[in-house]
Amino acid sequence: MTVVSSLAIIAFAALIHASFQLSVSVMTLMSGHAIGHRTAHKKLLRIMSGFMAGAAVMTMLLVSFSAYIADSIYGQQVPLIVWAACSGILIGAGLSVWRFYYRPGRGTTLWIPRSMAKYLHDRSKATKQSTEAFGLGLSSVIAELLFLVAPVVVASLILVRLTPDMQLLGILIYTFIATLPLMVVGGFIGSGHKLSTVQRWRENNKNFLQIVAGGGLFVLGIYVYVEQIVTSVAITAGAQ
Amino acid sequence: MPSTVANKGIVKRGGKRPSEPFNPHKLHVSVRAACLSVRTPDGEAEMTAAAVTNAVITWLHAKTEVTSRDLRRIAGGHLRTFHPEAAYLYEQHTNIM
Repeated sequence: MTVVSSLAIIAFAALIHASFQLSVSVMTLMSGHAIGHRTAHKKLLRIMSGFMAGAAVMTMLLVSFSAYIADSIYGQQVPLIVWAACSGILIGAGLSVWRFYYRPGRGTTLWIPRSMAKYLHDRSKATKQSTEAFGLGLSSVIAELLFLVAPVVVASLILVRLTPDMQLLGILIYTFIATLPLMVVGGFIGSGHKLSTVQRWRENNKNFLQIVAGGGLFVLGIYVYVEQIVTSVAITAGAQ
Repeated sequence: MPSTVANKGIVKRGGKRPSEPFNPHKLHVSVRAACLSVRTPDGEAEMTAAAVTNAVITWLHAKTEVTSRDLRRIAGGHLRTFHPEAAYLYEQHTNIM
């Protein structure tokens, strides 16, 4: 696998990560509360920047930590069984996202534990400072870990094969793409647009986002299976 | 505020949280916040919130006890006539996450 194709897979995994919506939901709620309580525009921008920084830092930490664990256990030679498990997790997560990502009914309610949703809801209401927003950004990524674990693990298994400078580039690419929706929504709200426009777009396109996220996981799972398992088995068989 | 309205019990979260008396100020603040969230000017937000709160108070007179969900639904319905965009956000508030 070349460096370019490795980085492309990392970018694709990050794109799947970006299609998950919890952080965007939390940021929408948090901005809504801040604007609704007449928060000054500069402060609103600081709060949103703090949130985005928190989400970016947690994403970066997750990928780095996962890559560190993978490197410590397997080094650059990840066993086929791990790739097979990874492929299975990706396909399973893809099917689950197709079926379960959004709860039925109006709005963009997600299948995350209700206690976690309530905690994030209450915190988004209570957030007044950029440091609190930073913490909320960290928590919002953790809350969606169940869905994020598949793209994060694939990205980290690909990362361990790269040279250190390319690993750094890979982590930065992953973090940038994964936090891109937050930057877009932040820019949209920061430039004075209505929150209802953001929420209406999200509600109208939730099925599309669900299909993209689930389909992306499924495709990545098939790709990993073919690229890492079928190819390796074929090469081994050819050598014999 | 009429004392009869202040004595109305609001059942919170289907009885999972303790009931509390109706607080028109709380309703006013939440409707005003929804209006401000869609970039409505301050004065218009205040007037809309007052109109919606009054409409809800009138509706409450005929009731003995209501749920917070009913209150949100009725307030959302009245808000829709004054400010559809704010009403959308007000009704969506519990469905965003």
